[in-house]
Amino acid sequence: MIAKTEIVESTKQSLDVPVIQLKSVSKSFGNNSVLRDFTFDLKKGENVVVLGKSGSGKSVLIKCIIGLIKPDTGTINVLGKNIPELSNEELDRIRAKVGFLFQSNALYDSMSVRENLEFPLRRHKAKMTKPQIDELVVEALTNVGLAHTIDMRTSELSGGMKKRIALARTLILKPEIILYDEPTTGLDPITGKEISKLMRELAKTYNTSSIIISHDLNCVKIVADSIVMLIEGKCYAQAKYEELERSTDKKIQEFFI
Amino acid sequence: MLPRIFTTFLSETGDIARFAGRFFKEAFKPRYEFAEFLRQCFFIGYKSLPLVAITAFIMGLVITIQSRPTLVEFGAEAWLPKMVSVSLVREIAPVITALICAGKIGSGIGAELGSMKVTEQIDAMEVSGTNPFKYLVATRIMAATLTIPILAVLADSVSLYGGYLGANIRGVVSWDLYWNQVFDTLAFSDVIPSIIKTFFFGFAIGTIGCYKGYNSNKGTEGVGRSANSAVVISSLLVFVLDLLAVQIIDLLSLT
Ligand SMILES: Nc1ncnc2c1ncn2[C@@H]1O[C@H](COP(=O)(O)OP(=O)(O)OP(=O)(O)O)[C@@H](O)[C@H]1O
Ligand SMILES: [Mg+2]
Repeated sequence: MIAKTEIVESTKQSLDVPVIQLKSVSKSFGNNSVLRDFTFDLKKGENVVVLGKSGSGKSVLIKCIIGLIKPDTGTINVLGKNIPELSNEELDRIRAKVGFLFQSNALYDSMSVRENLEFPLRRHKAKMTKPQIDELVVEALTNVGLAHTIDMRTSELSGGMKKRIALARTLILKPEIILYDEPTTGLDPITGKEISKLMRELAKTYNTSSIIISHDLNCVKIVADSIVMLIEGKCYAQAKYEELERSTDKKIQEFFI
Repeated sequence: MLPRIFTTFLSETGDIARFAGRFFKEAFKPRYEFAEFLRQCFFIGYKSLPLVAITAFIMGLVITIQSRPTLVEFGAEAWLPKMVSVSLVREIAPVITALICAGKIGSGIGAELGSMKVTEQIDAMEVSGTNPFKYLVATRIMAATLTIPILAVLADSVSLYGGYLGANIRGVVSWDLYWNQVFDTLAFSDVIPSIIKTFFFGFAIGTIGCYKGYNSNKGTEGVGRSANSAVVISSLLVFVLDLLAVQIIDLLSLT
């Protein structure tokens, strides 16, 4: 009997282990202090939305997590490794498990859609064979409903299509953690909703954890398990959508009108 | 107090030197981006080949036509191939090639890397397990360094051919006689130093283009500025390097 409860306890613990853990992270550019003592945990399987005004440092925050920007102080633990201290090789190994959707899509415009999707596979998984790569590329494109664009150039795509291709490229490595920088901005409400639902489904099927930056309250409602308010460089509050909506704090209310 | 323009110049020079230093530090360690390097060589060669060939041909032709009257005045018309071939191979063909490449390749690299920078494509590469400095910068600098000398050799021969036609517009110089004279005149000490200096031209053009693009400011305006200043600085640098090369060759009395 005792042994059984112990097992339950330990599995429960492993579920609660944070996959991303930020401790008093600060970052400033010259005199512009963007993040101040930002502390935050993301647990396994959790989908957290970061809300904040334009220029409040949301993109800087998730770029710190993936190691594109070095914080001035603080620790950033991702899958048990402290990102600012890693060597390039170790960082690459972590990055293979973390997907990142860029705010500006960042599709390579010198390459076709197929080459765009192949790029992370060829780079992170050198051993993969051509048929395996082809299969994954087709699967990823089908997932976002754009299988027919495979041989198009990225310059021939519309804004919304680019976003979806970028999403496919992010998902192609089957990451454990996904960082989305404004996934629905610039899309019509219907496509935005579809993308949000897709994100929700993917999180369930592959059991991924994610941080989502978004201004789009429809998207937030669909995907968020909880919401982090990034105000004045700090994690000002973290709570569920309904709780924040009812908040009487002026700084929080602004976002829900 | 130093004037501001002077300090800006110094700090920019320092940055470029550091950038070039980073190239030497990173380019020769694995992983080697060989496929991308070949692709860049092809692009650089292919893009500037027609322009280099046409310009070199015309320069050969007009220099010959322009030089004739002076030589005729001294009764030294027979020296025409001799004189023209030296100035073409030593100076005109390499510098013209480098200038065209500074315009075509320098601006191309500056704009391409600049737009990749501002649309986060360089960040995306880094996230995809690729060192963007190696993949984008090192390959382009290397390709420019090795391709521009090849283009310069081509420009040498095309401009000499232009010289042959130029010599035959007013006078008559047989094909055999012309080339015999040219090869009699040209010594290794004319050809080799002038080829060696084109490696430096190529390196400068590649480095400046990459530096400007890689450090582009946000916004599409920044991309235009990067491309523009890449051309201006690398053209200027070609002349400065040429001046240095001439001095060094002179000091070593290779002429
Ligand atoms: N590389 C950089 N160099 C200097 N300042 C930077 C850099 N990156 C970001 N900043 C500054 O950091 C602040 C936050 O930028 P960030 O891109 O994170 O905003 P954001 O919250 O993502 O805004 P948006 O919703 O508009 O995308 C801005 O003031 C910006 O000027
Ligand atoms: Mg942003």
